[in-house]
Amino acid sequence: MTNRALPLLLSTALVLALGACEKEITVDVPETEPRLVVEGTIEPGEPPIIILTRTQSFFAPTDLSSFAGLFVKNAVVIVSNGLVTDTLDMVCSSILTEEQILLAAEATGLDPQLLANVDICLYSTTNPAIYGEEGGVYDLRIEAEGKTLTSTTRIVPAVPLDSLWFRLIDQDGSDGDDSTGFLWARSIDPPAPNNFYRVMTRRLNTGDDGAALDATFAAPLGSTSNDQYFNGQAIEFIISRGSSSFSDPEDRGSTFKRGDTVAVKLISLDKASYDFYRSYENNVATQGDLFTQPANVRSNIEGGLGVWAGLHAYLDTLVCIP
Amino acid sequence: MRFPALVLAFLSFALALAQDRHTLSGYVKDAASGEALIGAGIYLPAIKKGTATNAYGYYSLTLEPGTYTVNTSYLGYGDRSITVELKADQVLNIELQPDAIIAQEVTITGKDARKNTESTDMGRAELDVQQVKLLPALLGEVDLLKTLQYLPGVKSNGEGNAGFYVRGGGPDQNLILLDEATVYNASHLFGFFSVFNADAVKNIELIKGGIPAMYGGRISSVLDISMKEGNDKSFHAQGGIGLISSRLTVEGPIVKERASFLLSGRRTYIDVITKPFIPDSSAFGGSGYYFYDVNAKVNYRLSDKDRLYLSGYFGRDVFTFANSDPDAPTFRIPWGNATVSARWNHVFGPKLFLNTTATFSDYRFEFKADQEFFAFSLFSGIKDVGLKMDLSHYASVRHTLKYGGQYIHHTYTPSTVEARTGTTDFDILAPSLLIAHEGAVYVQDEFDLTDEVRINAGLRFTGFAHVGPFDEFVLDEQGERTGTRTFSGGETVGSYFALEPRLSARYRLNERSSVKASFNRGQQYVHLASFSSIALPTDVWIPASREVKPLIGTQYAAGYFRNFLDNMLETSVEVYYKDMRNLVEYAEGAEPQANGNTNYYTQLVFGNGYSYGAELFVKKATGKLNGWVGYTWSKTMRIFPDINEGREFPSRWDRRHDLSVVAVYELNKRWNFAGTFVYSTGQAATLPVNRYFVEGNLVSEYTERNGFRMAPYHRLDLAVTLNNKEQRKVKDKTTGEVTYRTRRWRSSWTLAVYNVYNRANPYFIYFDNEGNVGDGSLQVVAKQVSLFSILPSITWNFKF
Repeated sequence: MTNRALPLLLSTALVLALGACEKEITVDVPETEPRLVVEGTIEPGEPPIIILTRTQSFFAPTDLSSFAGLFVKNAVVIVSNGLVTDTLDMVCSSILTEEQILLAAEATGLDPQLLANVDICLYSTTNPAIYGEEGGVYDLRIEAEGKTLTSTTRIVPAVPLDSLWFRLIDQDGSDGDDSTGFLWARSIDPPAPNNFYRVMTRRLNTGDDGAALDATFAAPLGSTSNDQYFNGQAIEFIISRGSSSFSDPEDRGSTFKRGDTVAVKLISLDKASYDFYRSYENNVATQGDLFTQPANVRSNIEGGLGVWAGLHAYLDTLVCIP
Repeated sequence: MRFPALVLAFLSFALALAQDRHTLSGYVKDAASGEALIGAGIYLPAIKKGTATNAYGYYSLTLEPGTYTVNTSYLGYGDRSITVELKADQVLNIELQPDAIIAQEVTITGKDARKNTESTDMGRAELDVQQVKLLPALLGEVDLLKTLQYLPGVKSNGEGNAGFYVRGGGPDQNLILLDEATVYNASHLFGFFSVFNADAVKNIELIKGGIPAMYGGRISSVLDISMKEGNDKSFHAQGGIGLISSRLTVEGPIVKERASFLLSGRRTYIDVITKPFIPDSSAFGGSGYYFYDVNAKVNYRLSDKDRLYLSGYFGRDVFTFANSDPDAPTFRIPWGNATVSARWNHVFGPKLFLNTTATFSDYRFEFKADQEFFAFSLFSGIKDVGLKMDLSHYASVRHTLKYGGQYIHHTYTPSTVEARTGTTDFDILAPSLLIAHEGAVYVQDEFDLTDEVRINAGLRFTGFAHVGPFDEFVLDEQGERTGTRTFSGGETVGSYFALEPRLSARYRLNERSSVKASFNRGQQYVHLASFSSIALPTDVWIPASREVKPLIGTQYAAGYFRNFLDNMLETSVEVYYKDMRNLVEYAEGAEPQANGNTNYYTQLVFGNGYSYGAELFVKKATGKLNGWVGYTWSKTMRIFPDINEGREFPSRWDRRHDLSVVAVYELNKRWNFAGTFVYSTGQAATLPVNRYFVEGNLVSEYTERNGFRMAPYHRLDLAVTLNNKEQRKVKDKTTGEVTYRTRRWRSSWTLAVYNVYNRANPYFIYFDNEGNVGDGSLQVVAKQVSLFSILPSITWNFKF
């Protein structure tokens, strides 16, 4: 928030004061060889899930079939916890039932409709011996399209939410809005330094069409934080609503409504995974931002892009009543 | 006053040389206002030798006894010829009449032109403030820094920006001195306007190569700005009303011809104009932006030998974002500079001139955000207190020695942050203020080896020490804190010393042409670290320390200088190569953050750079049509092991071609026309080459830093100035006789048009995406933002 406020204000001022104008132009982008992108997670009690895609030229076609073509099939994906080494199975959405698609969506964060419409393949396993455990260290090795990608991650202990409550924005009632608000949470950071967090939310109540308001958990912009400034302290913080990039644009927003049932995940993760999520969110948020130096996402994948993240979530649910 | 041994040694040496000679010395002044004239030419045709007045208008020439014709000239003033019979040391104060007062047409003087080929100066340019005022300016705001950008080798930081880059060096590499005090951030409003109010400025000189030993602390250029002293003969005022600001300057004697003052102020009124459109009841009531500047100066001539000056500058930008909703955040962002300098000139004898300056500069930036659940404030700044002594020793007509020393006490506040969320105060350790000492001694001699060869050789010895109290965090490989190393008060954290050689030489080919060469090396003990690709007040000044090495700049230059058409046209071709070591940048993906819990340099990466180029300059300083054409071909690159995967990349201000044309045409005493045209290669930009998706969001993959070029930049500006009639008719009521009397009240209208042919110059380019990749509605486009379309402005100026 603070990082963004100044540039936002300054650019607003510029545009207002001087009437800047904007036009579409054509820019020639050089063709480079595609790189592989990993979106891999492992959580306690859950199987590893790996989504493998590739990069494409910035102005490549944007239709669904070209998007579907980004998913890499027939890769060899191996996860090891030091004792057990498992080669993951490729699971493609075209063979899943409707119920399985919903489960897959929940597990991957991908849009269920997308999974139903496009054949998307990912890699996972049903071997419980390789499911995540707190304190576990997991090596990942991927071989695909002549490339080898490797990474390591670990699952750190979760940090509980002490309490969770809903607070209206319009506290004094001056704006006549008695239903819009944010979640607030209190947590106690462990005494040792170097705790890294990510927050995700999901509204469980259904909308007018009977479907869940959020099909998956989603991270609000600026979902990451670390204890550099509050190590070992009790901290109160605001949680805004996460919107998935697949959600209905009209339903995007950062607030909750009175009566929403909200599931909140306070995820603990290691530094490399945190660096990835933080820089990824910055990369997305600063597209077109004059005030920042463009930066690539920091990856923990050797030989490719993306992340291999051990996540440990503390889950809590709240019905929004101020 | 006791002299150091070194000075005494020089003195005795010079005295031995100077036996049987006499010294002619004095001040050159404006006859109307008593203002000292800086750099006025004194020339003795009989011996084909001359000199120029120093920053206080003082000159000194030691000559064989005899009768001499002394020709004095200064641009914009009538020449003066005085015959002197030199039998003993003699003081000759010379007053020159401004052209405006002389009845005849503008005098054509060869003074500046001769200096072009005679002096050892390279890469040096002075601006005529009167001429600058005639040039078209953005929104009518006369801007000295933006006029500098029309000189070859000097580039702007994009549209409308006052930030400037000299021969491939960053904006922090320019030593900007206002009456000898350092100005750290020379611009207002995100760089669109410079802090220097032209009404208060007497002289502005830029040195971009062959920097003499008397200057130090920055590696790329010196911009030396002298404020007016104030008229010591009579009271005057001048001012102007423009579209966005108004100015008023008053000056006059305190004690006639002994003491004078000048007070000058400027304030913008964008906030006042927009206020009616943002009623207090609206959501943003109370929001606004303004800046103001105040320049003040007094001087007192104690005797013919002693003179005191006290001058100051104070400027602030204030940006307020208010919101009537008590739940919404409010912001307040004030920033600005203050400088004070106190100077004492003392003439020990006709040949020895001492200037002692005490300076104070303060630059601060604050950002305060407040909301019910959340508060945040950020402060960064620099405070300098300095003392400086400069002796000019006019040993003989062939030797001018300068020596002196300087000490500056720096206090840096890199970034102090306080923050609160809910009831939790962030545990941000207050960063220790960084204290540093900087000192320098120098000696330089400008001498004629033969009639053809003149050399300016100098040596500067500098030292810098960052001292405690200071806590340095010990970090492990992952950047995680494992301990603290504490330096107690006064203990040295890091220190550096350097010898900086400076050399320039001129070889005169004939009366009209010469070749020159120069070499200079300098160290700079402070870096400017910038997050964004444009100059923002949030840019943080980072001092050298144990882990942050000082910048080292080395420049080689050579040039051919030639005058044409009886010195009417001055031309030069210069080539240069500049090497820069220990440049800093923020690491890729660094974020602004508080410094309390990490080392202030943690996010920095270090590298090197180089720049080379050729500059062509053709100038016509006199006549009805005057101006210049400058063209630069240059290449500026950076090499950082941690940026761009270690591959060399073009600097942000790398522009292969850069052309400027500046012309002023004086039709008659009433009408002036002026135009400027610039063309330069497009700015380098970093744009994504590839995209990929994470959580369904489009992620950009950048490959080459500054690998793209925006469209070329070009623009034409025009201005016309109409002065009121110089004389008014007076009809004698009894006799009916008509006489003309010169008006004391002068006024003028300036109509200027910025970007005449409405070129949409790129300010920045970005790639945008909208829609959802999951349903095929994703759209990806490249967009170009341009700032200023065609912008007319009108300004009314007056003086009396």
